[in-house]
Amino acid sequence: MNENNIREVVIVGGGTAGWMAAAALSRYLNNGYTSVTLIESEQIGTIGVGEATIPPLINFNDLLGINENDFVKATQATFKLGIEFVNWGRVGQRYFHAFGDLGTDLQGIPFHQLYLRERTRRTVPDITAWSMSAAASAQGKFARPGPKAQFPLDQLRYAFHLDATLYARFLRAFSEANGARRIEGKIVDVELRGEDGFVQSVKLDNGQTISGELFIDCSGFRGLLIEQALHTGYEEWTKWLPCDRAIAAPCSSTGNPDPFTRATAHQSGWQWRIPLQHRMGNGHVYCSSFISDDEAERVLVSNLEGELLDNPRRLSFTTGRRKLAWNRNVVSLGLSSGFVEPLESTSIHLVQAGIARLVAMFPDRRFNPLERNEFNRQMQQQSEWVRDFVILHYKAMQRDDSEFWKQCAAMDIPDTLAEKIEQFRNRGRVFAEGVELFPRQSWVSVMLGQNIDPEEYEQVVDGLDEDKVSLALEQFRRKYIEVADRLPTQAQFIASCCAAEGAKPAPEFAL
Amino acid sequence: LRDDRIEKVVIVGGGTAGWMAAAALAKTMGSMPGLIIELVESEEIGTVGVGEATIPQINFFNTMIGMDERDFVRSTNATYKLGIEFRDRYVHPFGFYGLDMLGIDFHHFWLKGKALGDTTPLDAYSVGAVAGLGGRFDHPRPDQPKSPLARIGYAFQFDAALYAKYLRRMAESWGVRRTEGRVVEIVQNGETGFIESVVLQDGSNVTGDLFLDCSGFRALLIEQKLGAGFEDWSKWLPCDRAFAVASESNPDDQQPLTRSTARPAGWQWRIPLQHRTGNGYVYSSAHVSDDEAAATLLANLDGKPLGDPRPLRFLAGHRKKAWMKNVVTLGLASGFLEPLESTSIHLVQTGIARLLTWFPSRRFDQVTIDRYNRLTEREYVDIRDFLVLHYNATERDDTEFWNYCRTMDVPDGLAEKIEIFRRTGRVVREHEELFTETSWLSVMVGQGIEAQAYHPAADLLSDEETLSRLQHIRDVVAQTAALMPMQRDYLQRQGSASDVTLRRAS
Repeated sequence: MNENNIREVVIVGGGTAGWMAAAALSRYLNNGYTSVTLIESEQIGTIGVGEATIPPLINFNDLLGINENDFVKATQATFKLGIEFVNWGRVGQRYFHAFGDLGTDLQGIPFHQLYLRERTRRTVPDITAWSMSAAASAQGKFARPGPKAQFPLDQLRYAFHLDATLYARFLRAFSEANGARRIEGKIVDVELRGEDGFVQSVKLDNGQTISGELFIDCSGFRGLLIEQALHTGYEEWTKWLPCDRAIAAPCSSTGNPDPFTRATAHQSGWQWRIPLQHRMGNGHVYCSSFISDDEAERVLVSNLEGELLDNPRRLSFTTGRRKLAWNRNVVSLGLSSGFVEPLESTSIHLVQAGIARLVAMFPDRRFNPLERNEFNRQMQQQSEWVRDFVILHYKAMQRDDSEFWKQCAAMDIPDTLAEKIEQFRNRGRVFAEGVELFPRQSWVSVMLGQNIDPEEYEQVVDGLDEDKVSLALEQFRRKYIEVADRLPTQAQFIASCCAAEGAKPAPEFAL
Repeated sequence: LRDDRIEKVVIVGGGTAGWMAAAALAKTMGSMPGLIIELVESEEIGTVGVGEATIPQINFFNTMIGMDERDFVRSTNATYKLGIEFRDRYVHPFGFYGLDMLGIDFHHFWLKGKALGDTTPLDAYSVGAVAGLGGRFDHPRPDQPKSPLARIGYAFQFDAALYAKYLRRMAESWGVRRTEGRVVEIVQNGETGFIESVVLQDGSNVTGDLFLDCSGFRALLIEQKLGAGFEDWSKWLPCDRAFAVASESNPDDQQPLTRSTARPAGWQWRIPLQHRTGNGYVYSSAHVSDDEAAATLLANLDGKPLGDPRPLRFLAGHRKKAWMKNVVTLGLASGFLEPLESTSIHLVQTGIARLLTWFPSRRFDQVTIDRYNRLTEREYVDIRDFLVLHYNATERDDTEFWNYCRTMDVPDGLAEKIEIFRRTGRVVREHEELFTETSWLSVMVGQGIEAQAYHPAADLLSDEETLSRLQHIRDVVAQTAALMPMQRDYLQRQGSASDVTLRRAS
């Protein structure tokens, strides 16, 4: 063991981010000499609402050795095959951003190029008719494809909808079993080291002082360490992503939980709908310069499908990112490192991405800037990818029924995104590089879904026989439907292996 | 604001009793303007605390101070407890037996079944007993009133030192002041005899209006200073010593039960915690030598001992006055009853509850004090009788010790209770006494007291109907228990690792 190895990791804040970090670090640092301590206060609520995720969360579970069924049971989770966008592009329009492949590439030619040519010949359904996830989703179906699943079931990709509060509790149990220590307390003071301004310790309201070598700031929007103590600075993205408030409220749900998140555009924002096993999570994300809080709440409440189960909770935020996700000996994760609205369910993913990079670039007590700089570079890239993809949804709006959307459609966008849109408009080209978070299929789904129509398809497509391709496309399409027909409904699947606990009745006396 | 209000409470001693009192007082009265709660303890003085078993009433205490159960279980290396197993004989379960029918207690139908030739033991009708013996645990299901789980009772077994630490953290966060120091002198008011202050080794003087004596067997204030006197019950409870030793936990035996095994001159406890097992032999020094007692204990462990057995000495009985002048005793300072029914912490808790109910002003009205002392004494007497029952109702005649117990004169109230049960099958629960009908029934039946009759109304059910209902009830109990998770899995799911290798030394 290197004598410079970190011995004390202190995580500040115990929401989703804090406990994800505690879970991962307690597992990876279970070396007998590194302590992982998490400080949280029951007085401070977490933002946690119904939370939607994207497929990489499966990797996180795998790395930690978390059994997926246990996780689903404990968090009242459901399976998610994609996102349905309603009233984006134009009012009355719907499209589906499905996880997983779109069709199959033929002779190295991207499937969507074949599709683009096909639609110059005849009227074709939306491109998601060639998605296994979308086909299952349309019928409310779900099954977990095994490792030996065959085409096209092997194309099904999924993520989860979960109750963030229960998720934190689940990870807490996991972390504590792995030796992480939880301390109850509110932080009232942060002490910096004289010579280099590193965080040395935090002081709790009961007078206790907790010192550490590496601090993980999971304190949420406040950025207790990264901002309030270290004044790292925040880069605002509000000119591109102007929504700055949200109201969240759960409502009752019945029947088969839809295996997808729904995002419905309203006049000054949009509403999420996240089906869980026991209820439905809802929220209205909006721009406060275009709609009042009370009006926004009325819009939310009047667009609920079930009975309101709790008082609506109001949240404010500023879209953007912390200028340095890692500053001195403080690594920020979650809301303290930045915020992009959950339109593409990326919040938990960014936490996970941060954790994975922290583990990969784990420092020692000398805090070599090489690690920190690389971490910051990669995290900036991650958050900008997310930012651009979310801006796309705002930019590609043809709605003229509200001032808000008209402004969004007219706004200047980051060059990186402008270029992507131009490439696509021109010949349907998408250059999502291997490491990019959203794959080619995602860009294609959203751009076509929001009516960015390429002027032409790639010339190479003409090398393939039109009729044969046409026939193949039709066969594929039917295949997706046939397979989806045979899958269980989401409710059936959950009942078979991962229904939340507490629901199972105990035997009773019949006297 | 009353101008005769207590402004300063001083707690002397920081074991389980001291910190329970500190936490409870701070939680309930901490926001009283100007009230200071100060606890004086010395790290030089050890606490008696071993593995500690409790009874379900502790849940009230934990709820009152707002404890998060999972956190508490994990932090104190606790396990769940569904009852006490009297080894090879019976289980005294928390909760209830079977199902009351036609407005009369279940056990009358059981007695009737027995008369009809159904020899199924009482244990088979308690989900706590069946699940406990099977190593299973689950929380109650009040949402399902017809399930045996509806009223299952549970308590905990935990590391008393960690419990005190846990309570200390809570108490300090609520403003309790802790002062390190050994008390070397106690200052009394010359006129009234009230305690004015305690002087610590370093010369500092801690003054107070109300003193809680939690100093353990030494009873620094109430006895050494005020001479309250001790009511000696050793003629009924002759055990006066114990050896305690922890042993490695047995991973194959994770029953949520405290175990009690009769030995030649007393009995042995076994309290399984998450990381180790607490053991002890409580014995009568008149009937066995210390060396032999220690050897007996070591010969009867189910895991490797962790250290040498620690000797403890005590005397069964209670302080004649639990409250004198401005001193209230809690814990061992106020009395001692052997842990055969895990009542030590309970006595602290009810003492605290009583103190909160009768919380004095600086006038210290004598009527309040008298009332408090009467209630305290009654509680000790109730528990004493229940403990004596275990000793007296025995068939053992293989040692001097058990011969003495079997043939001793028992307290009057107890003799009557036994007699009523023997003749009529009725179980008497006096006033609000701690142990319920279930407990009395369990121990009387378990210790071999045969009831000669049952409630006449049990004959409202025909013989066949009685037997088939008994069958149904024990089937449902067995089925319910079989579906309960193993305690080990249950703890792990809650973030407690019952597998000791998963626990990193902290």
